[in-house]
Amino acid sequence: METLKQVLGSGRLVALWYDAPHLHYLVEGSEGAPPQEFRVEARKSFPSLAEEFPALDWFERELWEEHGLVPEGYPALKPLRNHHLPYPFERVEGLHEVPVGPVHAGIIEPGHFRFSVLGERIIHLELRLGYQHRGVERLFQGASLERALLLAERAGGESVAHALAFCQAVEVASGVEVPPRACQLRRVLLELERLFGHLGHLAGLFTDIGYAYAATQVGKVRALLQGQLERLTGHRYGRNALTVGGVGFDLDPKTQLEVRRALSELAAEAEAHLFAALKHPMVLDRLRYVGPITQAQARLLGLVGPAARACGLGRDLRQDDALYQPFTPVTRTGGDVLARAQVYIEEVRQGFAYLDRFLSELPTGAVSAGGVWPLQEGELRKAFSRVEAGRGELFYWVRLRGRRVEQVKIVDPSFKNWRALELAVRGMGLPDFPLINKSFDLSYAGCDL
Amino acid sequence: MNSLWQTLRTGLLTRSLKKLFALPAWAPGWPVLRPEGLSRAVRRELLELCPSAAFAEEGDEFRLDLAKCVLCGRCFRAHPQAVGELRTLEVAVARREDLVQRVDLATGSFVDPGPPPPTRAELHLPTLAFREVSAGNTGLDDTEVALAGNPFHDMSRFGFTVVASPRHADALLVSGPVSQNMREALLRTYEATPEPKGVVAVGNEAISGEVFAESPQVAGGVDKVLPVDVYVPGSPARPASILHGLLLLSGQARQALVGGRVVQEGRERARTAPSEAGVRKDG
Ligand code: SF4
Repeated sequence: METLKQVLGSGRLVALWYDAPHLHYLVEGSEGAPPQEFRVEARKSFPSLAEEFPALDWFERELWEEHGLVPEGYPALKPLRNHHLPYPFERVEGLHEVPVGPVHAGIIEPGHFRFSVLGERIIHLELRLGYQHRGVERLFQGASLERALLLAERAGGESVAHALAFCQAVEVASGVEVPPRACQLRRVLLELERLFGHLGHLAGLFTDIGYAYAATQVGKVRALLQGQLERLTGHRYGRNALTVGGVGFDLDPKTQLEVRRALSELAAEAEAHLFAALKHPMVLDRLRYVGPITQAQARLLGLVGPAARACGLGRDLRQDDALYQPFTPVTRTGGDVLARAQVYIEEVRQGFAYLDRFLSELPTGAVSAGGVWPLQEGELRKAFSRVEAGRGELFYWVRLRGRRVEQVKIVDPSFKNWRALELAVRGMGLPDFPLINKSFDLSYAGCDL
Repeated sequence: MNSLWQTLRTGLLTRSLKKLFALPAWAPGWPVLRPEGLSRAVRRELLELCPSAAFAEEGDEFRLDLAKCVLCGRCFRAHPQAVGELRTLEVAVARREDLVQRVDLATGSFVDPGPPPPTRAELHLPTLAFREVSAGNTGLDDTEVALAGNPFHDMSRFGFTVVASPRHADALLVSGPVSQNMREALLRTYEATPEPKGVVAVGNEAISGEVFAESPQVAGGVDKVLPVDVYVPGSPARPASILHGLLLLSGQARQALVGGRVVQEGRERARTAPSEAGVRKDG
């Protein structure tokens, strides 16, 4: 417990899951070092660390809700996804409360935001999520690999990243080797998904500040990019494209060339619009100093992905991926909406460059491992995997028995990043909320599972 | 100045309905049963190979529920003699049974569910305002609804707008299998919508629950909670199909699928409907 605390103090929590009767804490120390796993036995309860390490907060509440384990010493335990239990909102004496959601004004997933405001200023925000809770993790229990893959593709907003993280975990557990061509094709899809997501939030940000021209142009690039993803996989979001052991599609040299050409055209177009937009004084004026997060806060909450990189925390799992070498994470230090927008734009540029590289030198060979499934009936294996999704680090842990999934733990990047929103809006005007919210780009479904 | 030039250069992005309804060559179509190829062995294999349990056999009937299909293409690739491909995006229907193909194994022919009911006349309006409610959706059906408003699809040319409040809406677009936690919010949104009001279930999750059907955390479909006027299948439903659903609701298009497939006279319609609407609105 003491070493765990020490490592947590200097590192970052990747995941906390329960594999009865042990709790597993996966903590990443200083950059580059592989994450350390700590096991703590827990049958009915476990010592709560959330007060000292706020990054553990939602994880502990989740354990209590899902497995009935009581975090001892947790102050004022509240449910996370279970809406049948009473939920007392925190009240700030003398302030007006503005409830928003779960049904919002835009086309967006449901969540509830309770603002305590003084005039227009937000003094306090409390999130209440769980509206998207579908019991995904439980549906995995006993599922065949094919069905589990469908579930993974629908667990959060990023189909490819979720499918990839699931497949990788299963491959590590079972020892299936993925051929190099499939590895690279998977990265192509992952980057396309990242770009699709990033361009989406950028278009959204421009819409929110009333810059319709840029929103339309970026939206156009995004729609055409989606067309390329569909061209490769037959699906607009790359579903059904990954399989355990490889990918379910292949591309001939002609398609490869055409897609590559189309993407480089889109890259130039995106570059022109995004570059021009971020030079526009009106845009800068509207994004700068809005919704800031300090680096200390980001560390405390254990933020991941672009949100963390916009606070100067230069961690990106692609750093550890051999196919991406050399790789330098995009960072900015501002921590505000502008910094996040800059990170998105820079990563769009970077993503296009990697796509070009991946599509120009595609290894030849098979796209799927083939062969027989290596595990015997009833054989037990466990493994975890991590993928840098567009939103940040995505974690999957699986326990397999033969060809069936016995248990999974999914940690979507949004599960770690949602709390940042509560801090970022403090002192901001209420009308800025949609802008700040969009800049974090959080998945409701991935968080609620 | 620069943006003006760029805008002129971009030109008109909006595509005619005919173009929008054409499925790209690289996307798999919907499976459609071929009764003559459904031997016992093939049926057993189909039941086994579909990851989404879209096939079912009960007594003398073999069924394929399009609202459960995730369009993986496994079935028609493995058994082309028993399952064909239906390459259309005009798949919205007003009746749930029209998404299910039923084959009577004794006679080896499709069970005809009868002509589809018309959509409600009081919603056949020149403009319709929608409120979107995501009820346990992965988020992609919502994205697709938003994309139906992009310059390529431009649903506003048919009089469709998305409004912020249900009080201003004529119909609700609901996605997701309706999670228990969203049930009350959905019902209250429905109550807040003035009469006459329609409901469109967007995406397979909203129609059948799809892969979430068995979870106790979801209702397993919008029509378990609200009366549904139009069902738009897809995983997620594609913007063009969503557009077809909205056109169906507003009386500007007719239903192409009957009993889960395009029957002969329906095929005629499928060909004429888009160009009719296309001429009227584009021209
Ligand atoms: S396409 Fe795939 S999901 Fe759909 S019915 Fe065939 S096998 Fe099942």
